[in-house]
Amino acid sequence: MANNQNPWGNNNQTPPELDEVIKDFKNKFNSAFGGNSSSNSSGSTNAGKSAKGGAKYLIILAVLVWLLSGIYIVDPAERGVVLRFGAFQEITTQGPHWRLPYPIEQEYKVNVEQIRAAEIGFRNVQNSSYGGNVSSESLMLTKDENMVDVNLAVQYKIVDAQAYLFNVLQPELTLSHVVQSVIRQVVGDNTMDFILTTGREQVAQDVKSGAQVLLNEYKTGLVITAVTMQDAQPPIQVKDSFDDVVKAREDQQRYINEATAYKNDILPKARGASQRIMAEAEAYRSQVTSKSEGESDRFKQILAEYLKAPEVTRERLYRETLEEVLGTTNKVVVDGNANSLMYLPIDQLVNSSRTATTSSGQSSSQSQSSQSSSGTSILRSREVR
Amino acid sequence: MKKISIISIVLIPILAILASSALYTVNETQVAIKLRLGEVVSIEDEPGLKFKTPFVNNVVFFDQRIQTLDSASESFLTVEKKNVIVDSYVKWRIVDVWKFYISTGGTMASANLRLAQNNQDALRSEFSKRTIREVVSDQREAIMANVKSKLKSIAESEYGIEVVDVRIKRIELSPEVRNSVYLRMETERKGLANKLRSEGSEEAEKIQAFAEKERTIILANAYRDSEKVRGEGDAESASNYAEAYNQDAGFYSFYRSLESYRKSFGQSGDILVLSPDSEFFRHFSPSFD
Repeated sequence: MANNQNPWGNNNQTPPELDEVIKDFKNKFNSAFGGNSSSNSSGSTNAGKSAKGGAKYLIILAVLVWLLSGIYIVDPAERGVVLRFGAFQEITTQGPHWRLPYPIEQEYKVNVEQIRAAEIGFRNVQNSSYGGNVSSESLMLTKDENMVDVNLAVQYKIVDAQAYLFNVLQPELTLSHVVQSVIRQVVGDNTMDFILTTGREQVAQDVKSGAQVLLNEYKTGLVITAVTMQDAQPPIQVKDSFDDVVKAREDQQRYINEATAYKNDILPKARGASQRIMAEAEAYRSQVTSKSEGESDRFKQILAEYLKAPEVTRERLYRETLEEVLGTTNKVVVDGNANSLMYLPIDQLVNSSRTATTSSGQSSSQSQSSQSSSGTSILRSREVR
Repeated sequence: MKKISIISIVLIPILAILASSALYTVNETQVAIKLRLGEVVSIEDEPGLKFKTPFVNNVVFFDQRIQTLDSASESFLTVEKKNVIVDSYVKWRIVDVWKFYISTGGTMASANLRLAQNNQDALRSEFSKRTIREVVSDQREAIMANVKSKLKSIAESEYGIEVVDVRIKRIELSPEVRNSVYLRMETERKGLANKLRSEGSEEAEKIQAFAEKERTIILANAYRDSEKVRGEGDAESASNYAEAYNQDAGFYSFYRSLESYRKSFGQSGDILVLSPDSEFFRHFSPSFD
C-alpha cells in the first residue's frame, strides 16, 4: 500500500485521512446496515452527520473501486506486461494479479502461445471479405527470369511480449513485409523448375530462416514457427503450356509402357516358338532314327532269308509287289512292237476311273478302234473296287 | 475534522488538475521533448513519470518504435533499358529526436515522404547500373546494402533517423516485358513437352526394336539348333541304312525298287501303261506259251 502515495505525489496528507476515513467507514457501515430497520428515530436525529458520513462513504467506496480496478487475470497462454507511468515494470505470468490502478500502472496482455497466421500471396476466404489470389504479392521473378506464382502461409507466435509491444510499430505488418521481401529474394535466387518441383521444402525453409533473421534484427519479439508453400505455380497466362508438359511427361511414360507391353508380348511367344521348333526337330530326329533302324532291321532279316534262296525269293517278291501295285491301279497294256502312233485319251481315262459305269463302255470302244489298227494291242480298263 | 474533510474535498480536485498539467508520462514506446516557450529544455528518452511547469513547458511526444516506410511501386530502368517495377520498404527509427523535430516538423508522414524520395533516388541509381538478372538474383543483396548505407548516412545526419533496414519487396517486370516473358516461357515449355514426347517415342522405339531383335535371334537360334538335331537324325538314319544295305547292294537295289513301285503306283486312280512283253507278262501273252 506504500505505492499508494505515488498517484498523489506531493499531497502527503492523504494516508492519515485515509485511516480516519476507514475507521469512520466502519462505523457508518454498522449504523447504516445494523441499525437501519431498528431505529428510524436515531436516523432523523443524526441526519446532518450521516449526510457528511455518506460523502465520506462514497469517497471510500470510490477509492476501493479504484483500487480493485487494479486486479487483472492472466490466462495460462498469456503474459501480462505491466507499465508504470509508461515505463516497463514487470512481466506477470498466469493467474490473478494486482497492479496499481490507472493511471499509475497499466497492463497489456499478450498471448504468447497462440499460433498466428499470415498469408502471403493469397487471402483465405474465411478471413477476409475478398478471397483468392493477390497477384501483386504472389507473382515473382525467378533467377532464370521466369515468373512464378507463389502462395505462402506463415505461422508465427509472440515470444517476447515486451519486445512485441515496444519495439516496432505494427509488428504483424512488419512480418508481412519481411516475408514478402525474403520470399522474393529466395525465389530470385533459384530457378523456376527448382521452385515448382523439388525445391518447395527448401524454399520454405530458406524463407523461414531468412525472415527470422530480419525479425530478430528489428527486435519484433516474433518467432516464425512454420512457413509452408501453399501453392507454387506458373502464372495463369502460361498454365496451359505447363500442363502440356505434365501431359507430355505422361505421354512419354505411356509410349514406353506400350513398347514394354509389346516386348512382353512378343518375347515369350518367340521363346515358346523356339521351344516348339526344338521339340519338332527332336521329334524328327527320333522319327527318322527309329524309322531307319526299323527299316534296316527289316532289310537285314529279309536279306538273310533271301540269301538262303535267292532266285525264288527274288521272283516271289517281284510278283507280289507287281500284284499289289497292279491290283490297285488302272492299267493300259500297249504292245510295244506296234509302230503306229497311238492315241490315248489320258484325261478321259482319268475321268473314267472316277465315274464308274459310263467310262467302261467308252474305253471299250476305244480299245476296239485301236485293236483294229494294231490287232495285237489290248486296252482294258478295270474298275477298282 | 469537518474542516479537514471540506478542505480535502476542495483540494483534491484542484491538486488533481494541477498534477495533470504538471505531470506527464513518457511511454515505453515514446520519447519526448520538453519545450519552454519553444525552446528545448530537455529530451526525455527514458519512460516514466515526468514533471513540467504548467503553462510554461509543453511536451512533444514521438514514437521511437521502428517505423515502416512502405514505398509505393516505382518503375526503374535497368542498364538494358528495361522497366522494372519495384516495391521496397524502409525500417527506421528516431534516434536524434531534436534533429528529427526540427527537420521534419515532427510528423511521421513528412519524415516518410523525405525518406521515400531519398530511397527512390538511391534505388534508381543502383538499378540503372545493373541488368535485370543482377537485380533479381545475383546482386539483390548488394543493392539493398548500398541503398541502406546511403540512406543511413543521409537520414542520420539530416533527419535524426536511424535507418534500420532497407529491403526490396517486389521486383516485377513492366506489363510489356512480362508478356514477352510469358511468350518465352510458353515456347520453352513447348520445347520441353516436345522433347519429352520424342524421348518417349525414342525409348519406345528402342524397346520395340530390341524386342524384335531378340525375337529374331531366339527364332534363328532355335532354327539352327533344330537343324542340327534334324541333321543328327538324318546322319544316324543314313548310317543305319548304309550299314544294313551295304551287306548286299544288289539285293538292296532290287528290294528298294519294289518298295518304290509299291509306294509310287499303289494309289487308286493311277494309270499304268504297260507293254505286254514285260517280265510281268511273261505268262500272260499266248505267244509266250
